[in-house]
Amino acid sequence: MTKIALQALRKEYAGQLAISDLNLEIGDGEFFTLLGPSGCGKTTLLRMIAGFNSIEGGTISFDGEVINDRPASERNIGMVFQNYALFPQMTAAKNVGFGLQTRRIARSEAERRVEQALASVHMAHLHDRLPGQMSGGQQQRVALARALVIKPALLLMDEPLSNLDAKLRVEMRDTIRQAQRDAGITTVYVTHDQEEAMAVSDRIAVMNLGVVQQVGTPAEIYRRPANRFVAEFIGKTNLLECDLIRHEGKLRIELGKGQVIDVTDIVDASGSGRVQVSVRPEAVKAASTGLAAEVVDETFLGSHSQVRARLQTGDIVEFLEFSRRPALWTRGDTVFLDVDTDLLTFFDHASGVSIMRGDAV
Amino acid sequence: MIVMPRFNFWTVIMILTWVMLFVLLFVPVGSVLVSSLYDQGGNFTLANYTKFLAESRFHQAFANTLVVGFGGLFGALLLGSIMAFCVSRFVIRGGKFVSLLAILALVSPPFIGAYSWIVLFGAGGVVRGFLRDLGISMPPIYGVGGILIVFSLKFYPYVYLMVSGALSNVNRSLEEAAEGLGLTPWQRTMRISFPMVFPALTAGGLLALIHAIADFGTPRLLGRGYNVLATEAFTLYAAEVGSNMSMATTISVVLIIVSMIFVLLQRYMSRRNVYHGNMINKPIRIQLKGWRNVLAHFAVYFIGLCGALPVIISVIYSFRKTSGPVFQDGFALQSYERILFGLGDVVRNSLSFSVAAVALIVVVGTVVGVLVARRTSLNTALLDGAFMVPYVMPGIVIGIAFIAAFNTGPIVLTGTAAIIILSIFIRRLPYTVRTTATSLRQLSPSMEEAAISLGYSPFQAFLRITVPLIMPGIIAGGMLSFVTAINELSSSLVLYVGSTMTMPVRIYLLILDGDFGVAAALSTILLLLSGSAVYIAFRFMGRNEQALL
Repeated sequence: MTKIALQALRKEYAGQLAISDLNLEIGDGEFFTLLGPSGCGKTTLLRMIAGFNSIEGGTISFDGEVINDRPASERNIGMVFQNYALFPQMTAAKNVGFGLQTRRIARSEAERRVEQALASVHMAHLHDRLPGQMSGGQQQRVALARALVIKPALLLMDEPLSNLDAKLRVEMRDTIRQAQRDAGITTVYVTHDQEEAMAVSDRIAVMNLGVVQQVGTPAEIYRRPANRFVAEFIGKTNLLECDLIRHEGKLRIELGKGQVIDVTDIVDASGSGRVQVSVRPEAVKAASTGLAAEVVDETFLGSHSQVRARLQTGDIVEFLEFSRRPALWTRGDTVFLDVDTDLLTFFDHASGVSIMRGDAV
Repeated sequence: MIVMPRFNFWTVIMILTWVMLFVLLFVPVGSVLVSSLYDQGGNFTLANYTKFLAESRFHQAFANTLVVGFGGLFGALLLGSIMAFCVSRFVIRGGKFVSLLAILALVSPPFIGAYSWIVLFGAGGVVRGFLRDLGISMPPIYGVGGILIVFSLKFYPYVYLMVSGALSNVNRSLEEAAEGLGLTPWQRTMRISFPMVFPALTAGGLLALIHAIADFGTPRLLGRGYNVLATEAFTLYAAEVGSNMSMATTISVVLIIVSMIFVLLQRYMSRRNVYHGNMINKPIRIQLKGWRNVLAHFAVYFIGLCGALPVIISVIYSFRKTSGPVFQDGFALQSYERILFGLGDVVRNSLSFSVAAVALIVVVGTVVGVLVARRTSLNTALLDGAFMVPYVMPGIVIGIAFIAAFNTGPIVLTGTAAIIILSIFIRRLPYTVRTTATSLRQLSPSMEEAAISLGYSPFQAFLRITVPLIMPGIIAGGMLSFVTAINELSSSLVLYVGSTMTMPVRIYLLILDGDFGVAAALSTILLLLSGSAVYIAFRFMGRNEQALL
């Protein structure tokens, strides 16, 4: 049960600033994800928390106690690595029991905990297997059991699923989420996969170039991205450029001749001028009236079809429709689009920062 | 700071390593250089070098060294690449046996090859005699031709092992793609496969070249007056009358420079054009039909058996009945009896020196290997470079260098067992340092980090996780060092005294005395020891012939 606070944290590699003035608070028992493209500093940050990377400035504290100078071996952390890092010369059970050996736990108690940990990741039957004889998914389950069995104050996971194939990834992330909930351990999870982050996290910190862009629940960062980077990195979106027009005390945008959308209630009233609008695919539906657009193409994806249509402004908008046979439209057909304004986000054109009113979701 | 104790430990290791290198490497090499620049009276002079440049005998030795070097290179390239190509591309019955023959040639004691060829094709050679009875006369094998035959057959395994490794890693899809683009089989081989194995060819060939230049026993026994730098250096050093240390060291310097040029060339060539094939689509072996099949088998077995012939001959001759040094008809264990009753101390010396050297090599090599792999800084980069130096030192030069350094002065070691052990130690140490560092770099650091996160200190994590993982490699490396140590002739020949005589030295002297029965028996024992060491090494790391290089 640990609260973590990172204050004014700084990391340099050979004089190059990798992270500067980073502040984060992670709650007790929270599943917290560091999400971002490769090179954004998320793994660096995780390894600073683990004690494998030096800290050039600021503090990391566990439950209010600064642990900057505490060696990694005394931080009581469980860590799960991208490449599993199982000890190849030890069986599954020996791997899981390894951390208990140094903790002077009675043999019978240790054995019981090893069995329990293996069972919690559905690996009890492979007790005596060596890592070389296990699949990647099985190895990662054992690695998770090994990290959890020591009842760590903090569980750290560095891209644990990225070496697994797509189907196994989905299965494993449920196991991870379940095991973490059962144990109630504060968890910091690193990934570059936004879908994975959304599926497992209580809260997510989106990082880019060593800077935290936004911290929030999956719904918050999806629906109200703090800036253009977050909007584009999380989920799919259509970014359209247009002018914010002040007209008779109301704010609106124009997406074609006479095709206006009133945004007075959602956009910060002080804004005006050039903006960018993030239009999520699900914000758009074909309807009998609305924005006129010309179908460019339709791609059959199984349950849905992905449709691309050109607005009168020339912008292309992508959206999803339940698929039907025969195809709904052919190239060149005119469709009318109904736009759900609740699912739009507006950004200042120059800074890329959200100009949405309040932070309601 | 908590990390201070570890910092201190590695700093101490770093200092000790430099001290060791200084005493065992820089001082001897420096002594060689100094000795070559001073005359008997202790005055600075370049006379030795002008003498080297002026005297036709030295010109001849220099030219001859290059002749046997490049001759050995081309012979080894020819035999090695034919064998590698056949074994890796065609179905050859008993392919494993062929590899075994190559290993036999590689681990057989040096110079015993030379003598076995003399037994067969020398002045009174068995085969020559047989042919003469049939009315065919052939010249005896002495001279440069004989040296080149022996070198080609002794050093072809370097090329064979390197190239067959590379050939079996060429992705078949590449050749298939070339086939799809309309290239003929010949064009495919020359334009696709050849460039892929070229680095292995140059690396193997230059290994053969370097060994050929350093070899002392073969030209000594087979040359009959064909002098090379290694034999010149030894003659000048060992001459009972008119021993000329400063001229011997001068030749040593020349030999070091020549070797260094080729070692650097090899490193340069193998660094360029290294293609990393993926292993997904390994080439398949073709089943040849008819005369092609016969020809491929003949080539492979001919090369393999010729290469292993010296070993076979010495094993057979070791069991022949003798009367004194003269062979009689029939078989007996007399030669072994003579070893048992007369030469026990030589066998014991060889074993104890080799074990001591290997123990030192394993312990020091592992610690320094960890230092090089884990403490990346300018210092360790320098260290890494310094460890290249023993590679370019032919055994005879190391021997002369140790005499030059430890005959007088603060440390006197001449005539001791220590000097022989240390000379083997310093020559083989780089290999262990390098393999340890490489295997450590290949281990994912996250394994130790996992152990640390589970509550172990970094040192405990290293000891409990990493050490067990690199142990098999270290043991295997130790075994291979044992093979080199126990077969070492040229440095021991310079350094031995009566009480520190080793098996290779004794064999060499026995051959000079014409007592081939005992020499063959000693060689057989040597071979048995080397073979067991290779077997143990392969048990620990899997059958990996490349590790023998």
